[in-house]
Amino acid sequence: MLAVEAYDLRKTFKSGWLGQRRTEALRGAGLQVPRGAIYGLLGPNGAGKTTLLSILATLLLPDSGSASILGYDVVREATAIRRRLNMASGNASFVWSLRPPEVLTFYGGLYGLHGRVLRERVETLIEQCELGPHRKTEYNALSTGLKQRLAMAKALINEPEVLFLDEPTLGLDPDISIRLRAQIAALRRERGTTIILTTHYMREAEELCDRIAFIKAGRILAEGTPDELKRQIRIGDVITLRLEPGAPRGLTDLPGVLQVHVKGDQIECTVDSSEKRLSEILRWLHEQGVLVRDCQVREPELEEVFVEFAR
Amino acid sequence: MNLLAEPLEREPLPREPWTVELVRTWAFAYRNVIMAKRNIFFVFELTFWPGVAMLSHGLLTRFLHLDARMTAFILVGTVALSAIQVCQLDVAYAVLFDIWSKSMKHQFLTPIGIRHMAVGSWLVGVARGVVVFALMAGIGSWAFGFDFIGAGPGALALFLLGCFLTSLVVGLLVCSLVVLFGTRAETSAWAAVNFVVMLSGIYYPISVLPGWVQVISAGVPLTYFLDAFRQGYGFEPHYAHAWLWGFALTGFYVVLAHWALASAITRSRRTGLLLKLSE
Repeated sequence: MLAVEAYDLRKTFKSGWLGQRRTEALRGAGLQVPRGAIYGLLGPNGAGKTTLLSILATLLLPDSGSASILGYDVVREATAIRRRLNMASGNASFVWSLRPPEVLTFYGGLYGLHGRVLRERVETLIEQCELGPHRKTEYNALSTGLKQRLAMAKALINEPEVLFLDEPTLGLDPDISIRLRAQIAALRRERGTTIILTTHYMREAEELCDRIAFIKAGRILAEGTPDELKRQIRIGDVITLRLEPGAPRGLTDLPGVLQVHVKGDQIECTVDSSEKRLSEILRWLHEQGVLVRDCQVREPELEEVFVEFAR
Repeated sequence: MNLLAEPLEREPLPREPWTVELVRTWAFAYRNVIMAKRNIFFVFELTFWPGVAMLSHGLLTRFLHLDARMTAFILVGTVALSAIQVCQLDVAYAVLFDIWSKSMKHQFLTPIGIRHMAVGSWLVGVARGVVVFALMAGIGSWAFGFDFIGAGPGALALFLLGCFLTSLVVGLLVCSLVVLFGTRAETSAWAAVNFVVMLSGIYYPISVLPGWVQVISAGVPLTYFLDAFRQGYGFEPHYAHAWLWGFALTGFYVVLAHWALASAITRSRRTGLLLKLSE
């Protein structure tokens, strides 16, 4: 079952005198996100990630195309579907004089929460996001990490079924990022929340996302699970070998071997599939009378896939 | 199982109880009250400027040797202007707080309507406007012997209601301009408020204005409220059924201002300004 569907979304921003300068932010982007999935949107700066996320979150109107969240059209039924979604962004900001419980009470009220339910929800989120010791601190005096945690708490105030996260760990210390990632994973695991996130951190995407879409110049270039994307880009797996007395001639001619690099006493063989080729290479080396002292297999990093797509 | 092959299923949204309307309205009032408590400039808005206005205008009436009737004419305008300014600021804060703090998108991500923003912040504006009125009435009565209930409590209540409804219209129009053109529209919005007040005959009868300006003045609700209230101090009415015309015009402008803000928000969602205001 799908939570989010978007087809052929287009958006052009006009700027300058009489809107003469035009920037095509989206050129027919579309995606389908299953319920309960964590879906990553990756792409270089200006690729259209935030524009796409903002259209889905009902904050921006597309020029054409269609998008629905849980079956509700994001343009025609925006007010209705807002009850079931929420958003947090890396550069979050709230009214300067409000304290964390007040920020949550205000936004909780906007979602129609009140009385005991609201008070309990605020308290739970304050505890969950470790904001307890800072409940008396005004927003402006909070550190970046605390502001980010408050943004996350705000995004959970209405227990959204669909959550949009725009670079949620941007500028955070590694330990806070790790905790935030754990919180995101727990949301899906415990509540089945559908999460769409944009990020620049490949490790984050690989760790969290079930599916990833690469977006560039307003178009989705590729979509799939991290493994599918790695296969799609055909970067290949790398088999690193330490051989004695050295690399024999003819290694590059073996089937499936894409390239061979000699680095000191190590040889890096890039192959189309390590599962298929490792045993063949080892057998051939044995036949050549070469001793294999060490052997390591490395699949390509998502970062390499990203670089390939961003090129 | 191929998840992607399954169509998107639409679940009906549960109907919200009517109390949710009140809760959303209360949320805006709650935020304005907290901000009013914590920021020093709110204290100035509430006490310093209205106090200075009443004292300086009262002293001017002394200097000009105006009688009690003419003093009332001037000071009614002073009170009206201060009450409107304070109350309309609160309405405008519904959007301005988010613009100043760059949190605009969070507010418009929630399932609120303009009515919640407008009424919630307006109620705090009314409360602050009443405080301003009480302060000015106290100073006017103590220092210049001006009787603010001289026109009768009913007329005073209608006059204040008229002023506060005018503030609602002005505040919503300021919000529309800011949402439409961004923060650069803020100054022009305040200027427009003062211009409109000037047209309504705030310190003078509109008969002193050129004929064509009087035609414009007739389209400003405050003109009628001032005219009707001053009748209670023995001034000749300029309009027949001034209260009725004033409230009818205000009702029309409230609807118009609501539509203007709704259109401005839609346009801002189309142009992307709503997001830019959050960056």
